[in-house]
Amino acid sequence: MNAIAFNGVTKKYGDVVAVDGLTLDIAAGSTVALLGPNGAGKSTSINMLLGLLRPTSGDIKVFGNGPDEAVTRGDIGAMLQEGALIPELTVRESVDFIRRLYPDPLPLDEVLRMAELTDLAGRRADKLSGGQTQRVRFALAIAGGPKLLLLDEPTAAMDVESRRSFWDNMRAYAAQGRTIVFATHYLEEADQNSDRVVVVARGKVVADGTAAEIKSGVAGHTVSFRLGLQSAAGLDALPGVSAVEIQADRVTVRTGDPDATLDALYRKTTLDVRDLQVHGADLEDAFLALTKES
Amino acid sequence: MSHYLKIELLRMVRNKRYIIFVVAFPVVFYLLYSNLWGDQVDETTGLKGAVVLMVSMAAYGALAASIMSSAVPWAQERHSGWLRQLQITPLPGWAIICTKLIASMVLVLPSLLLVGLAAVLTQGVSLPAGEWAGLIGSLWIGTIPFIALGLTIGSLLPPDTAQPVAMIGMFGLALLGGLWFPVEVMPSAMKSIAQVLPSYDYASIGWKIAAGDAPDASSVLGVVGWAVGLGALAVFAYRRATVRA
Ligand SMILES: Nc1ncnc2c1ncn2[C@@H]1O[C@H](COP(=O)(O)OP(=O)(O)OP(=O)(O)O)[C@@H](O)[C@H]1O
Ligand SMILES: [Mg+2]
Repeated sequence: MNAIAFNGVTKKYGDVVAVDGLTLDIAAGSTVALLGPNGAGKSTSINMLLGLLRPTSGDIKVFGNGPDEAVTRGDIGAMLQEGALIPELTVRESVDFIRRLYPDPLPLDEVLRMAELTDLAGRRADKLSGGQTQRVRFALAIAGGPKLLLLDEPTAAMDVESRRSFWDNMRAYAAQGRTIVFATHYLEEADQNSDRVVVVARGKVVADGTAAEIKSGVAGHTVSFRLGLQSAAGLDALPGVSAVEIQADRVTVRTGDPDATLDALYRKTTLDVRDLQVHGADLEDAFLALTKES
Repeated sequence: MSHYLKIELLRMVRNKRYIIFVVAFPVVFYLLYSNLWGDQVDETTGLKGAVVLMVSMAAYGALAASIMSSAVPWAQERHSGWLRQLQITPLPGWAIICTKLIASMVLVLPSLLLVGLAAVLTQGVSLPAGEWAGLIGSLWIGTIPFIALGLTIGSLLPPDTAQPVAMIGMFGLALLGGLWFPVEVMPSAMKSIAQVLPSYDYASIGWKIAAGDAPDASSVLGVVGWAVGLGALAVFAYRRATVRA
């Protein structure tokens, strides 16, 4: 069954179209990254899944129910992009309060352990650092043991070390058969922590697949060499090639499969290949190419 | 939901502003004023100053507790995103406002009871048991319009405006309602304002009961009317604040 189904969902704020005809199914048990630049519509989509925002048109289902119903049943937990804690309450009090609102919550100690908060359990929320606050917000999101976990830029306030352990904890939660959707700006983060990446820009899906597919499909690798006076005709027909650019006497070929391209370049053409350079996929390039204004 | 109530009470008890303005202020002022004017006797009612002041300060404390425990925390929760955190849990929407109302009513009790206790211990005030029950009971139930006002302020305003508006509302109602100075000494313009305010009706009920009389029907109607009006406004403002666009 699908955990999430967006069906032609559009959300407008006045003239601004934040989400534009989004149709997207997410299978139960998968971990999906929503990757996109600022203003792509990631938070708007997540907030619609939670019933915090209503679509202008279209229809959203979470485990076959409307968002409000799914929230009432305790099927969803979420870490929103912004949100503070109650300053006067300790970590344990806040987490325990939220978990008791769910019909089938995780044990308190397990939640604290999974969010690495056991040592901070007695600390008041107004005495926590930014990264520690994020961990508490993660604990609040998983406390009810929801089947679907939504994370909107969860690592925003974290240093490198905290990020790493955050993703470890997220994977531990996902490993119990749960569905996870997280929003991020970084292809690398999406690549390392999801089994599917949905790239959104200007409210639309612009690419959808595994991280490897997205990398190869878009920027891929580049193979370049000195062409001199020879003709570039036929290079675009080599296996894997998605684009051919000529600058001065050099030609640059973009390819999703550099091995096949090179093999064919030497065996199937009569070109005199000099000064060969092969570059790996640049994640940031791939991302920028996908999401740039068209 | 009972756990939600516990959490709400816990956080207010840890809040310095609540403790100072709401619990400490009325008791301290009672001790101060009753030492100055505690022995004066009111000619019309025959009540001792110590008793009149007890009702006034208890009413002030309850009024302050009602507004302070509702307006600002609620405005802050909306603003900080805590409301959203609650909205994405299975907690039903009505449970939030109901819990806030109940929590505020519980938080009113310390000031009511402590002022009464101070009156008994320091001024030897004694009333028949029935009058104590009637006095505390009516001063307690009578806070509903003020809690409704606080929740309305918290629903409509952001925290940095809710804070001064709640303060002005609290002191304005207390001052103009005759809780700090008797209405009789006010200029006539202020007197006519006082008479339409819920705080005046509210305290009047208390003064009457303390004097062994039945409260005036007009006072009771006044408080009930304000409770209905402000209650409706609070529900309207709450729905507006929690609507999903
Ligand atoms: N309340 C609002 N009123 C008007 N426009 C809004 C509102 N919220 C979002 N938008 C607009 O909708 C678009 C999508 O915003 P959204 O917050 O969903 O983006 P995002 O992908 O989460 O971006 P970021 O990475 O910066 O968090 C943006 O152009 C934004 O300016
Ligand atoms: Mg966002």
